[in-house]
Amino acid sequence: MTNNTTTDYNAMSDEDFRDEVRTFFETECPHELRHLPHRSTWAEVKDWHQKLYDKGWVAPAWPKEYGGMGLDGAKMLIFFDEQQRLGVVRGRDMGVIMSGPLIIKYGTQEQKDYWLPRILTCEDIWCQGYSEPGAGSDLASLRTSAILEGDEFVVNGQKIWTTMAHDASHIFMLVRTDPNAPRKQQGISFLLMDMDQPGVTVRTIKTLADEDEFSEVFFDDARAPRENIVGEIGEGWNLAKALLSFERLFIGSPNIGQNALNQLETLARGRGAFDDPNFRDRFARLALDVEDHGALYARFADQVKRGETLGPDVSMLKIWITETAQEISELMIEVAGRDGATLGALSVGNHTVDVLGNFYKARPTTIYGGSNEVQRNILAKAVLGLPS
Amino acid sequence: MTETEEDLRLLRDSVATLLDRAGGEKRAREARGNRDGVNRAVWNELAEAGILSVMTSEDAGGLGLGLQAGGIIAQEFGRTLAPDPFAPVVGLAAGLLERLAPGHTLLDEIISGNKIPAIAWEERKSADAPGNNQTTYDTGKLNGTKSWVARAGGADVHLVIASSNTGTGLYLVNALADGITTKAARQSDGSYLHEVTYVETPAELIAEDENVKNALDAAVNDATALAACELLGVAGEALNLTIEFLKTREQFGKPIGTFQSLQHRAVDMHIAHEIADTGIKSSLAIMDANSDPTIRAREASRAKARAGEAALKITREAIQMHGAVGYTDEFDIGLYLNRALTLSAWLGDATFHRKRWLKLRGA
Repeated sequence: MTNNTTTDYNAMSDEDFRDEVRTFFETECPHELRHLPHRSTWAEVKDWHQKLYDKGWVAPAWPKEYGGMGLDGAKMLIFFDEQQRLGVVRGRDMGVIMSGPLIIKYGTQEQKDYWLPRILTCEDIWCQGYSEPGAGSDLASLRTSAILEGDEFVVNGQKIWTTMAHDASHIFMLVRTDPNAPRKQQGISFLLMDMDQPGVTVRTIKTLADEDEFSEVFFDDARAPRENIVGEIGEGWNLAKALLSFERLFIGSPNIGQNALNQLETLARGRGAFDDPNFRDRFARLALDVEDHGALYARFADQVKRGETLGPDVSMLKIWITETAQEISELMIEVAGRDGATLGALSVGNHTVDVLGNFYKARPTTIYGGSNEVQRNILAKAVLGLPS
Repeated sequence: MTETEEDLRLLRDSVATLLDRAGGEKRAREARGNRDGVNRAVWNELAEAGILSVMTSEDAGGLGLGLQAGGIIAQEFGRTLAPDPFAPVVGLAAGLLERLAPGHTLLDEIISGNKIPAIAWEERKSADAPGNNQTTYDTGKLNGTKSWVARAGGADVHLVIASSNTGTGLYLVNALADGITTKAARQSDGSYLHEVTYVETPAELIAEDENVKNALDAAVNDATALAACELLGVAGEALNLTIEFLKTREQFGKPIGTFQSLQHRAVDMHIAHEIADTGIKSSLAIMDANSDPTIRAREASRAKARAGEAALKITREAIQMHGAVGYTDEFDIGLYLNRALTLSAWLGDATFHRKRWLKLRGA
């Protein structure tokens, strides 16, 4: 953590900041970690994480007082832009993206002092325990129970679709602490748990892309100390809703669109697709969809920087960019032609592009974090005011 | 809110008040088929409020507020379906004159509302290479045919781009001069584009040097960005009317806005509008901050491509959601589709501008 206390990145000119980010990524991020077609594991990104940590760049959006870079919306876009242009790997960042902002906003001083530094060092690697077999889009129906016994919560139940749970040490989860609450949204609490204990079992689920990306997690009298509750007991749903706006800003960030577009461009150049006027028009349309989304993203990111709470309209970002990224990945398959169903990286000039990897990666984005259909329901009622 | 933001908000409010009072949809209906095109009383009011001089520099007698201020005004013209030629006169004519002949009395007459110019710059035969003119100027006389001239019917003067022995030039013609014939093509919104033919028409030379081509490009880019903002205003109001309709129109015993398929489509219209709003405004901010012609041209195309696509999607969907009444002339929602069609085609539609954008971006 060398730079952040002395450097005010927001005061730099856009050009200087872009230069600094680009130079750092270009010189420091190893080539084998660029454009990785699958989610990274800790073993793969450990050394790269250390470099980011030494530079103070693990948490670009966190306030500086907690060890973040404190970037405003415009600088954030430049950071993402350079990251994606070079295909810089996404690290084991659930702690930085989800648990950190939760603890910063709702945690006690003790929780901040204990957990935040461990997130930055990746001493603790986090996964998110939300969905259950009977609670997907209808998340508030969750049933995993946490009953207080002395100073400990005893947890029983099951989570599913838990991304990278097999490579995580800790889980932040929504649990039902009061099974008798009158409404399903009540009696839910936010609990932090160490997964390294006999009561926790992780079973990975193979994806359509034949990868171990998500898991089922079983809790059988698993335990967590009482002080691991974030916020008030029984107030977990409100916290989750507040956290969802961070999540929707993150999963609506331009990264996935920019990354897919860069790879489409590499593939298209190598395959001569830019000679085809029809391809040119479709490419231009998608590139503009990504670029104009960036402007909308910056508007929301600046709202966060000003300390404003994001409204339900932030879901627009996720809907737009995930569907755009899917279209880009579909166009990639068309450009690949007869190689369109070939697994693994295709070589394109001096580069490689994993066409199917991109296609598969784009599929779950319209399902996770609240499916795009659920997001549209929310926008229709909460933003447009349409009747139910 | 910064001082500039506050200034722009006040400007928006005053334009909105003036245009609302002039009479939104009713005035748009009355203007249809009116070959003179311009309501001089409203035009003079706009001039008195400084709206016609908003982009002209202070040195040349204007307010010098830049393209973003012009965009805010254009958006209000779109919202109220105002038929007045703001973008062609302020973006094209005043912009061209200021760049080539800032001291010419005509600039003053334009921004004070006393004279309304028509700009004759494109030719059907060289649509892909503007400035490659077959219309010629020689010893005080113009000969040739210009296409897609907006507002020629009600104009006092024509500003004509033509070729001479020394290159491309800008020439001034009195609208009543000898040898002018016009062929009017009625547009979807009831306005007209003209094909104007000049035969031995007397003309005054305004500028004739290598700057003419650059000044024309710059003014066309400004007007393109203003047209994008006008489309944004049209789309925004069509969206508002449609959401309101979904809340009130009842079928099967409940408001049709309760149906999920319509809710989802309304959300997609809303997202298209928000993406357009922030994208187009970001383009105008970049244009105001850059003098590099390539960047300005690229951003103008980005804005118009987005505006054309979003406004046509929103206004088409608006018709569908209104059902049969949406297809009647009696109902106002169709006026928005018809204005969007006209503005989309003028200065190039989304396909044209995507093509240009990609070329300027490099690919």
